[in-house]
Amino acid sequence: MLETTLCGVRLANPIIAASGTFGFGEEYGRFFDIGRLGAICTKGLTLAPRSGNTGVRVWETPAGMMNSVGLQNPGIPAFLERELPRMRTLGIPIIANVGGGDIDEYVEGVRRVSAADGVAIVELNISCPNVREGGMAFGITCGAAVSVVTAVRPVCAKPLMVKLSPNAEDIVAMAIACERAGADAVSLVNTFKAMAIDIHTRRPVFEGVTAGLSGPAIRPIALRMVWEVAQAVHVPVVGMGGICTWQDAQEFLIAGATAIQVGTATFVKPTAMLDIIDGLERWAGDDAAL
Amino acid sequence: MNTTAPVYATVPVLSHERCAGDVLRLTVGTASAGDPGQFYLVRCWDRDPLLSRPLSVHDVGPGTVSFLYQVRGRGTELLARLAAGDTCTITGPLGNGFRIGDPHGGKKVAVVTGGIGIAPALHLVRSLAGNDITVIAGFRHEVYAVDPFRLYGAAVRVVTEDGCEGTKGVCTDVFAAADFDAVFTCGPMPMMARVAALCAAAGVSCQASLEARMACGVGACLVCSCATVSGNKRVCADGPVFDAREVIWHA
Repeated sequence: MLETTLCGVRLANPIIAASGTFGFGEEYGRFFDIGRLGAICTKGLTLAPRSGNTGVRVWETPAGMMNSVGLQNPGIPAFLERELPRMRTLGIPIIANVGGGDIDEYVEGVRRVSAADGVAIVELNISCPNVREGGMAFGITCGAAVSVVTAVRPVCAKPLMVKLSPNAEDIVAMAIACERAGADAVSLVNTFKAMAIDIHTRRPVFEGVTAGLSGPAIRPIALRMVWEVAQAVHVPVVGMGGICTWQDAQEFLIAGATAIQVGTATFVKPTAMLDIIDGLERWAGDDAAL
Repeated sequence: MNTTAPVYATVPVLSHERCAGDVLRLTVGTASAGDPGQFYLVRCWDRDPLLSRPLSVHDVGPGTVSFLYQVRGRGTELLARLAAGDTCTITGPLGNGFRIGDPHGGKKVAVVTGGIGIAPALHLVRSLAGNDITVIAGFRHEVYAVDPFRLYGAAVRVVTEDGCEGTKGVCTDVFAAADFDAVFTCGPMPMMARVAALCAAAGVSCQASLEARMACGVGACLVCSCATVSGNKRVCADGPVFDAREVIWHA
């Protein structure tokens, strides 16, 4: 009833586990049938393994949380060898989230990941706020974004979805620029650049000073950005930002999103995505009955 | 170990009592149990604060799990208001607990705790019964939760920083690693680092239960990582109990 299509890929429902909140789709399998999700975005991948950031990596805020993981991941070769074969047994589309330190790393990463059987869509991460490159560096100005999207487009053997940063100078212009550079879809928003200070030490909580804010705190702003972008581009828009309930999801779908991603809500309740799917199914059923 | 499948459930509060000024023992009704050193995510609020609080398993009874925790911030302040008859929501048991080995091995074991790090020690000591157990429990000032160890035949040495009870000083002042075959520790990182160093010097095996701020609690989000000799490990899913030699204590 909720079936949808994203870049030619059939999703049983429009609910996708957001990158960085769902590992490689294994951990939450102890709590629910992951095969019920519309799709899974992998933890952000880079060609070379990364150990991520040192120091505090998480901090709570009113109705939200900040994270500074810094793209810790085993590297794309290890992902392809160890994680992807197991992920494929889940039976749902896998969206590989790819970052990079420079354009060469993006190109080689996208080339290898998109060539793999079992990867349905590549989500290009130009919006991680927690690494200097690889990076939101490519997600702030349209020129930088265009350079990376243009570079990876020819080597990307699968649909290319560009994940946008709410920290972009102009997110609507950014979405249009990515579409023109060859993006098959855009997903938004990644986390908001934010910070916290320890008043006792008078120092920033995070070693990198700033971190990425997610959770219900950002939802109204994310919704506004999704609504603006959805009116400005012709490619599908995948919305995210603090979605916790089916009503939240419905807001994003009404604003123009083809599908939505859920991240932080899963930390609050492991089965949050199933509740959203069930809620949307009931809503669609009631709607159909009218 | 992960001997029990984790549950996500809303469960009744059976009892909740104050053990010391800001330390409480919360007992909930659940058959989900848990191994010594495993933990649960606990919450009794809707979405503010956003995240649940990771609390180690203090005790397990027939159809009950208890948590011993210290009020540290808003989450634990809200937990502290729970009364018998209320409900709270738990996810767990999670993580990998202490590796007990042969529980009747007749070995000399030490359980070295600092402050609220005493929380997992009760379930641990019970599981170790049959060994020659010494609990060395350090506190800043007020002493709590040490009496039950004696039920399991453990010798208890209390150490307080201000000398108000037991020996004045810190745990490591009275801990001679070479006296033991195996050591288990839980407490502040600097204390565990000293215990680990003493054990390493004496060639004694040491398992340490680490604490970290967590989000998912299941290994998916990587915000609770710790540095080990084999790279970053997840405190929630690879730990919280680690072989002390694995941990890079001053990372």
